[in-house]
Amino acid sequence: MKTCKRLAALAGVLLFGCAVARAEPVKVGIIGPFSGPFSSFGEGWKAAIDAYQKLHGKTAGGQDIELIFRDLTGPNPSEAKALAQELIIKNKVQYIGGVVFTPNAFAIAPVVEEAKIPTVIFNAATSSVLEKSKYFVRTSYTLPQITVPIARFMLDEGVRSVVTMVSDYAPGADAEASFVKTFEAGGGKVIEKVRVPLKTTDFGPFLQRVKGSAPQALFIFFPGGPPSYGVIKAYKDNDLRSTGIRLFGTSEADEKDLPAIGDAALGLESGMFYSGAHDSASNSEFVAALKAVAPAAVANATALEGFDGMAAIYHMIEATKGQRDPDAAMAAIRGFAWESPRGPVRIDPESRHIVQNVYIRKVEKDADGKLFHKEFKTYEQQPDFGRADPK
Amino acid sequence: MADIVADPSRVEPGRWRALIGPELAVVAVGLLAAIVFPDDLGFITRINILSIFTLSIALVVGQAGIGTLGQAALFGAGSYAAALWALHVSAEPFSGLLVGALAGAGVAAASGLLILRTRGLTLIMLSIAFAQVLLEIANKAAFVTGGDDGLADIPVNPILGAVAFDFHGRVGFCYTLAALVVVYFCLRRLIASPFGLTCRGIKGDRLRMRAIGAPVVRHLLCVYAIGGAVAGIAGALSAQTTQVVGLGNLGFELSAEGLVMLSIGGVGHLAGALLGVPTFMIVRHVTATINPYHWLLVIGVLLVVTVLFLPGGLYGMVDKWRRRAGQGGS
Amino acid sequence: MTLFASILIDGMAYAMILFMITVGLSITLGLMHVVNMAHGAFAMLGGFAAVELMSRLGLRFEPALVIAVLATALVSVPIERVVISRIYGRPELDQALLTIGLAFVAIALVNLWLGASFSSIDLPARLSGPVDLGFRSFPRHRVAVIVLGCAISVALWLFIGRSRFGIRLRAAVDNPGIAESVGINTTLLYSMTFAIGAGLAALGGIAGAELLPMEANYPIKYMVLFLAVVAVGGQGTLFGTFLAALLLGVVDTASKYLLPDLASISFYLTMLVALALRPQGLLGRKDAA
Repeated sequence: MKTCKRLAALAGVLLFGCAVARAEPVKVGIIGPFSGPFSSFGEGWKAAIDAYQKLHGKTAGGQDIELIFRDLTGPNPSEAKALAQELIIKNKVQYIGGVVFTPNAFAIAPVVEEAKIPTVIFNAATSSVLEKSKYFVRTSYTLPQITVPIARFMLDEGVRSVVTMVSDYAPGADAEASFVKTFEAGGGKVIEKVRVPLKTTDFGPFLQRVKGSAPQALFIFFPGGPPSYGVIKAYKDNDLRSTGIRLFGTSEADEKDLPAIGDAALGLESGMFYSGAHDSASNSEFVAALKAVAPAAVANATALEGFDGMAAIYHMIEATKGQRDPDAAMAAIRGFAWESPRGPVRIDPESRHIVQNVYIRKVEKDADGKLFHKEFKTYEQQPDFGRADPK
Repeated sequence: MADIVADPSRVEPGRWRALIGPELAVVAVGLLAAIVFPDDLGFITRINILSIFTLSIALVVGQAGIGTLGQAALFGAGSYAAALWALHVSAEPFSGLLVGALAGAGVAAASGLLILRTRGLTLIMLSIAFAQVLLEIANKAAFVTGGDDGLADIPVNPILGAVAFDFHGRVGFCYTLAALVVVYFCLRRLIASPFGLTCRGIKGDRLRMRAIGAPVVRHLLCVYAIGGAVAGIAGALSAQTTQVVGLGNLGFELSAEGLVMLSIGGVGHLAGALLGVPTFMIVRHVTATINPYHWLLVIGVLLVVTVLFLPGGLYGMVDKWRRRAGQGGS
Repeated sequence: MTLFASILIDGMAYAMILFMITVGLSITLGLMHVVNMAHGAFAMLGGFAAVELMSRLGLRFEPALVIAVLATALVSVPIERVVISRIYGRPELDQALLTIGLAFVAIALVNLWLGASFSSIDLPARLSGPVDLGFRSFPRHRVAVIVLGCAISVALWLFIGRSRFGIRLRAAVDNPGIAESVGINTTLLYSMTFAIGAGLAALGGIAGAELLPMEANYPIKYMVLFLAVVAVGGQGTLFGTFLAALLLGVVDTASKYLLPDLASISFYLTMLVALALRPQGLLGRKDAA
């Protein structure tokens, strides 16, 4: 009788103990701009993360997952560092995801390196970010990664003379440098390199200048929102197409901005790693889930960053059964390959950067009169060309 | 002029409590916060640094009446100078603070020659324009400043060669708190001196001060340079504790935020900075944790309410209560 | 020569937009001595109202424009009466902080209402696309903006110079005490001036939406730009604001054509130099500085 009671007690303790262990979820901190001028990143990520959890559940490796969102409105390294410290020390997160701006990624690097927190960079696209910590892994892109294929495509199209025009900040300089290098190596000539101040809204004068130098094509890189809108509008209003100057872009005319840009975007050719209209089962699933969790959300590159960032985090949690083992998690993510809505992707084991297809697209109208990016050429499995030795 | 009479920092020297009482209070509150919230040291360290920055605004705006919206230029100058010093010359932290202070003071003196001859909207716009020009230069000179990516991996040696900065931020917290207390003490002595009195005189009536023979612009230049040194120290501390410096350190948002924090605390008193910064930061932290989207609405309403109903800020409110209590007692 | 004309026309268009948005700010500053940092919010309000009227209610451009401008002017009256009027005579710093607070509230509300994306205004076909002016083709919209801006300037000049309202306005700017004592109702005058300024800002916001697209962050993003025009022009002067808009607009455009790499520095440098030489503004009175 006594033994029975003891057994029962023991069972109770075990059960209770298990329940406690089960109740302690794997915590994941997400740092991004959820308010302020860059909040479209935060909104897109949040919707995509919800979509991911709708499709794949809120558990991985047998453990519940708890997400902790922290607002970091802009490039602010000291606040970024304080938030990362708070997430790690106070909230005891096992993983961190997010980070839009490169200076913020630089600031959290020493913190995650010391605390050994695997961190998935959703955006911050400067090549050198990943060198700052061996616990960084990136699922977005780098500018060389998409501009090199564009330069090659333009050369294939017979374009030999070009003017480049980029926003005057670090990503713009990255885009310009890798484009010019590839284009000139392929026998093309860059007539002029224009850098436009980040806050510019009136692009007319710049486009008139380009018109004056009469290249075969204009290559642009601008951040989404008003700058992209301004440059595409000015291209049309100043009538460059009729003088035979073709326009090649990168991430401009994002799906979120397309309705505001309107018909001026028609015919824009660009290279990018994802388009909301990408034709695959995996993408249809993603778009449907996104619509289900957030009807106002748009399937664009930003949303995809959040979705694939979660895929990487889930994979690491599964590989370690939710236990805190950062080195095993990093070993699991190196070389991990999966089918993303953007197509087949894998994490390069050495650089920890994503290897992915780059699609050349053209803006067209679908049957309902809605603008979309029609993909017509694929450069498969492109690495980060920004590294000294791209693999 | 009532300002001068009511200023509690005008004390009879020799009385210990009056001499370093406020500093002791700052230390006590800081240590208490660190003990109660040991996991939030990174956040508290940021409060310390921004408090120093806002003290510099309290000196320049609140005491001397220089209505600037370009204080971030001085903060940024200090942080870039300290970062470059650490990267290229020496990673010793105290020398970095000195370099930051000199850079802040130097930039303030140079810009002050232009800015301080004006008043009102013109002064506001000139101070903004100056800060923006510095920001554009920092953006262009990417080979020195890292441009938009900023400067990363800034080295910091252990303090006095013995105490290294730790991951939990304990050393960073103590270091910045000590800096805050020293700066606060010096500024309090400064504004209690005849120099500080002249400042408030100029703020009250520029023409009269000129009429009684005070060299107004030179005097203002002096205050502005001291404010620049203080802002530069804050910038250097930020560079050392974050180990990254970005263009945001020169941005208009930082200047505006500093002024907003000061006005919530109370513009006319140094203590206003020390009340306003923690209040602002904690309200923001809590609102942003609950729902990041609504932060701007909260701070907007807070500002309108402060200006309309709390003209003296939190300090004014506390002061009123204290006096009422004092009257009741006597 | 073509280059010169290009700079002039593109610069004029930009200048006219700046003028329409900022003239109300300058006049209220001269009249009520209030530094209104939230002025850009009226331009944004007008722009978004026009966008919503056209997209939700399917209105055409012209009626949407008229309704949006009137609505903005109407909305500004209670704002002036309830909030702004309480800070007349307060230190500039208090005024700046309160109106920055108002700008934050406006941003947050628009963000809640429409989200973080930006909007453009669909112009009718006769206002969009290129038009050939002989030596060069220009966006049709720019030519229209220049015409509109000039028309507004002339109308305002006549209105302030000739009408009873204008006479009272000038009297109150020159000496509010005497104006009141000779029986001018300054409270009403302030409200009306504020509403006219807000309406003009809305008009400028809508006309300028191609160059300054509508987004939630609009009031803060362009605040320095608008204040720069007012400071350089001299507060309270119609013609000074016009000249300042022209100077800053043309210099900014010229540097885009000639020195694109230095375009953003040149704007601030122009402002620095102009204010260093004339702290009271181009046409401001000495005591206003």
